[in-house]
Amino acid sequence: MKRDEFLKRLRHGLKGLPPEAIEDIVADYAAHFEAAADEGRSEEEVAEALGDPARLARELKLEAGFRRWEDVRSPSSAWTAIVALLGLGALDILVLLPIILPALGVVIGLYLAMFFVFVAGGFILIVGPFSAFPGGILTAMFGGLGMMAIAVALTALLLIATIGIVNALVWFGRLHYRVIEPAIHSEG
Amino acid sequence: MPDGIEIQLKKGVLGLCVLALLQRHDSYAYEIASKLAHAVDMGEGTIYPLMRRMQSDGLVETYLEESRSGPPRKYYRLTDAGRDRFDTQLADWRAFTASVEGLIAEGAAPAENTEGHHEA
Repeated sequence: MKRDEFLKRLRHGLKGLPPEAIEDIVADYAAHFEAAADEGRSEEEVAEALGDPARLARELKLEAGFRRWEDVRSPSSAWTAIVALLGLGALDILVLLPIILPALGVVIGLYLAMFFVFVAGGFILIVGPFSAFPGGILTAMFGGLGMMAIAVALTALLLIATIGIVNALVWFGRLHYRVIEPAIHSEG
Repeated sequence: MPDGIEIQLKKGVLGLCVLALLQRHDSYAYEIASKLAHAVDMGEGTIYPLMRRMQSDGLVETYLEESRSGPPRKYYRLTDAGRDRFDTQLADWRAFTASVEGLIAEGAAPAENTEGHHEA
C-alpha cells in the first residue's frame, strides 16, 4: 500500500471524530511517512510496519470514545463508547451482544420504573390529602414522600451499577486492541 | 509464546522509555519510535497513541521546528509534570529490578543444589 492510500483509508475510518482530531492524527502518520522517506524507506514498507489503517482507525476511535467516557460520565458518552465497542467487530464482543442488549433494556426499564414511582409518590403527596385517602392525610403525605425517597435512592444505586457495567465493558474492549495495544496499556 | 513475560515487561516500561529519551533531549515521534523499535521491539505506529495520551495527561508538550527537508516537524518536550513522572517511575523501576535481581540471586544457589541432588 502506498502512502496516499494508507492515509485515505485512515481518514475514512476516523469519520465521526471531531475534524481537528482527525487532522491531528492523519498529520502524525503523514509526518511518519516523510521521516521514513528521509531514511530511504519505501512507502510500502512503512505502511506494512504501521499495520492495517482501517483497524488502526477503529481502535483509535474506540480509545477516543473510552477516554471521553472517563472524562465525562454521561448517557451520551456511554452510548458512544458502547457503539464504538461493537464497531470493533471482535467475535467475542459480538457473542456478548445477546447479553448486552437485554441488559441494556432491563437497565432502561428500571430507570423508567423509578421515574414512575417518583411521579406516583409526588401525586400521592399532593393529591392524597385532598381526596379520601385510606389512613388519612398524614399517611398520604408520608406515603408519597416515602415513595419519592425510595425512587431517588434506587436510582442512585442504579446509576452506580450502570457506571460499573460501562467501565467493565471499556476494560473488556481494551483487551481487544491489536494495533495500538502496547501504547495504551503501558501507563496502566 | 507471543504473550509471555517479555511482552508484558516491554509494555510496562514503554512509557518510562519515552520519558527517558525526552529527558535527554527533545525529539520527534519518528525518532522516538525508531529508537524504541530497536530497543524494545515495539510496533512503530504505536508511538502516536502513546504520545497523544502522554500529551493529554500533561506529561509532554509539542512545538514545531523547521526541518532540513520538507515541512516543519512536531517536537515533543517534557513538561515539569513529565519530569516528575520520570523521576518517580525511574525510582520505582530501580527498586523493582533490584528486588527481582535479589530474588533471582537468592534462588540461584539452592536451585543448583537440588539439581545436583537429583543427579546423585
